[in-house]
Amino acid sequence: MAKENAIKVLQELAAYARSKDAKAMFAWQSEDSRFVRYANSAVSLNTREILTKLEVTVYGDRKMASSSIMTDANDLDSMKKAVDKAVEMLPFAAPLTYQPTISVIPETVISEEAYDSAVVAMTSDDVIAFVEEAVSGLETEDILLSGNISSGVTEQAFMSTESTEAVCWRATDIGITLVLASLQDKWEVNAEQFAGRVEDLDAGALHDRLSWLVELYTTAPAERVPEQPFTVVFGPAALATYVDYHTWIGFNGGAMKRGFAMLNPDDIGQKVLSDRFTLMEDPTLLETYPRPVDQYGRARKPRPIFDRGVFQGFIWRQSDADEFGEKATGHDVTSLSVAMKGGDRKVSTIQEFAALPRDCDILYIPYLHYTGLVNPTKGIVTGTSRFGPLWLKKDGSIAVPYNVRFTVSLKDLFGDNLRWVSEKTVPWGESSHYRSRNPGATVVPVLACVDNINIELSNESF
Amino acid sequence: MGVNWKHLIKRLADRGAEYADVRYVPKEENDTLFMWNGNLIAFDRSEERGYGVRVLVDGAWGFAASSSDEEAEAVFDRAFDNAAAASKRSRRPIRLADKDIVKARFESPCGIDPFEVPLLERVAVMKDIDSALQHKDVPQRVVSINTTRKTIRYFDSEGAEIEKYIIEIFPAIQVGAFDSEGVMQQRGYRPPRLGPTRGWEVMNKEHWKRESDRVLSELFEVIAAPVCPSERCSVILMPDMMFLQVHETIGHALELDRILGYELSYAGGSFVRLDDFGKLQYGSEKLNVRADATLVNSPGSFGFDDDGVAAKNRMLIENGILTGAITSRQMVMEANDRAGREIFPDSGGTSRACAFYRVPIERMTNINVDPGEDGTLEDIIKDTERGVILSGERSWSIGSTREQFHFATDIGWLVEDGEKKGALRNCTYEGMTLDFYRSLSKVGDESTWEVQYVDNCGKGAPSQEMQLGHGVPVCRFDNVKVGE
Ligand SMILES: [Zn+2]
Repeated sequence: MAKENAIKVLQELAAYARSKDAKAMFAWQSEDSRFVRYANSAVSLNTREILTKLEVTVYGDRKMASSSIMTDANDLDSMKKAVDKAVEMLPFAAPLTYQPTISVIPETVISEEAYDSAVVAMTSDDVIAFVEEAVSGLETEDILLSGNISSGVTEQAFMSTESTEAVCWRATDIGITLVLASLQDKWEVNAEQFAGRVEDLDAGALHDRLSWLVELYTTAPAERVPEQPFTVVFGPAALATYVDYHTWIGFNGGAMKRGFAMLNPDDIGQKVLSDRFTLMEDPTLLETYPRPVDQYGRARKPRPIFDRGVFQGFIWRQSDADEFGEKATGHDVTSLSVAMKGGDRKVSTIQEFAALPRDCDILYIPYLHYTGLVNPTKGIVTGTSRFGPLWLKKDGSIAVPYNVRFTVSLKDLFGDNLRWVSEKTVPWGESSHYRSRNPGATVVPVLACVDNINIELSNESF
Repeated sequence: MGVNWKHLIKRLADRGAEYADVRYVPKEENDTLFMWNGNLIAFDRSEERGYGVRVLVDGAWGFAASSSDEEAEAVFDRAFDNAAAASKRSRRPIRLADKDIVKARFESPCGIDPFEVPLLERVAVMKDIDSALQHKDVPQRVVSINTTRKTIRYFDSEGAEIEKYIIEIFPAIQVGAFDSEGVMQQRGYRPPRLGPTRGWEVMNKEHWKRESDRVLSELFEVIAAPVCPSERCSVILMPDMMFLQVHETIGHALELDRILGYELSYAGGSFVRLDDFGKLQYGSEKLNVRADATLVNSPGSFGFDDDGVAAKNRMLIENGILTGAITSRQMVMEANDRAGREIFPDSGGTSRACAFYRVPIERMTNINVDPGEDGTLEDIIKDTERGVILSGERSWSIGSTREQFHFATDIGWLVEDGEKKGALRNCTYEGMTLDFYRSLSKVGDESTWEVQYVDNCGKGAPSQEMQLGHGVPVCRFDNVKVGE
């Protein structure tokens, strides 16, 4: 459904809610998602889902209730019933200790900067042809291709009964993960790309990385890493995983108030991390599928979170701000635009870095599998390496290591132990979520070097 | 309801589809009630309706989903076209194992339908529990009740017609307070499935008062406790931790799609190989594990899977030896073919999708550890020289082939010379999966066995969240690395 229709539907629903003397906020999402999945060198699944979802939140005196529905985009009757349901529920809501704020959107804003019609036009055959180019000549009887190619368009629209204006946003996104894995030996290497536009996809870059890693994994010695401290160079997926923990337990005011955070108000203005660590929430970065205006109609500006290690303050979503007596900071969006700033190391790829001389053994860890938050207050995260770690030895040689586990504090990782950060950055994204498409990406350096990572479990095979 | 699903399936067969099925969900309702420090910050009803079509063309899958009845024919065609496109990059044509074709209905056992309980009463029950958790030294308390009610109608081109009507309830509480170091400590509780049904009757007032008191007193124990020492010793896993251990390092490791490499692009593989079935010593002789979808009171029981296969109760590990896997129609055919022998006689009936807009994949049912003969918890403690009793999952992280793991727990208690001593905080343990299960030295009896559940198991791409169960006893493992 086009955005004009979404606005029309929301205006109709708002009028309907007003006729029931209800104060309500509406969030609309329509998505068209395509997914091509590879396994064992074949397309194992080719899907397309077209879904529309409406959320209605009704507000009373220190009360709120919400109702949502996933239904046909033209099914206005069901949507009105969702309004009825929320209105019906409201009297039974337990009173809150605060008054929740309802949006009053001052003017209609339609953002389509991250929309590319070429993504919508992409066919299954186009996707398959792209993948053929990216893995050309790399598959064998033993080395098989797996992969996820997710693409789609997401439209969101927000409105309330308090004005007839709307915030609308539309974006396209593509996420590509290609994995080559040995059936017999069980090693696996990958290459990934995340983009909002078809023209930003680069099959050649994927091929370069995959062929380089496959060559190493089929020729270099496979070795078990000793359980001891290492200097580690992380790739973008691993860095994005760590940076995303900041979004959750770092600068999120609500989580802090709920005791689920590693920072506290005393940290504001203090140098808590390395001066090599600068983190922004920057809705001007197109590669993050930015929302220039939040659901309350507030224009969003770039905001420093850490400036050379100095914590600049928490962000507050409206509901948390209401609950804890703070001021909302314009971050009521379904995905933030978080970016870790690049540093001064002029290196663009692991291939390039591996060719440079080095003064110690270095583990290259591109990706973290299934991390766990061991202790939120201390910011302790555990995880294992995956998808093509390398053991870059001091003498210039390279071995392929079995996977390792290590547990780190984010305060050490982005603090005293952060040795250098690459100048070049890339978006690392995710759009496939459990219940709805939500394009988002975290911008991170392509490489960053951290000292003193203690390897605590070291596998004895791939 | 104007859509003739059987007709649309026949149309696809006429176009040349080898197989097709549709799951039509006329209504799925989810109520989410979440109370934080007495504030009901989520009071939400969500509903969805729609259908998903899965089609096999030239040995490849295509799928499409929508909520639009008017576009049903086009959506079915889209699924067909997706399959046809996929078949151009096919390596081993997909075949489906034989099954009994049934026309059947399944209804989950429920005493009181939670959706029929007035909202006023539901909120009042939450407030009661919240009051029981209130204490001046406890800054964080959570009470949540999530409920689901759904109807799924299934039709396939082989003639199966199945209707499922499922009601689930997932209540939980958690309290949190800071220890002397300023670290947030938490203690939570989700009720095991002790009764025969899965409805509002689990919200028994006395039960929740008792458990609220226990959770609070254990929180006070943990905030005053010393940190867990770093050493190697025995760990005694309570059912509220043992279930997660089994989930992550037996359940996921034995999903046949993972074993065959179908999850390598995201969720991961498995250290298990096809050669291992019938041979691999997974654990000590005391380890007996089954996938039992016939257990009445668990979300891992659903009557028929989304391939239309009836619920089964199958052994996975017998006296420590790996014998079975979590299987579907597609994967058993491929596994037998690749192994060059019949490992799996038929589908284990574990293929499930989390919603109409997702495809079915291998999912755990109830992955249960049989009770053993080592007595009660007290008996096991009495027989332990040095160890830690661990309870309540706090964090979990597992290697990509499930070969190793790291868990943190809400609380631990030291055991010395056969006696349970004081509580410990910041407890973690880690290890290699096979070494760990081979060190299984005590398996508690029936008195220690509980059906725990998981309501958010993530797997697949596009990602899916699933509900399932684990019936587990208290178990002891030796020589395990524990620490802060
Ligand atoms: Zn799981």
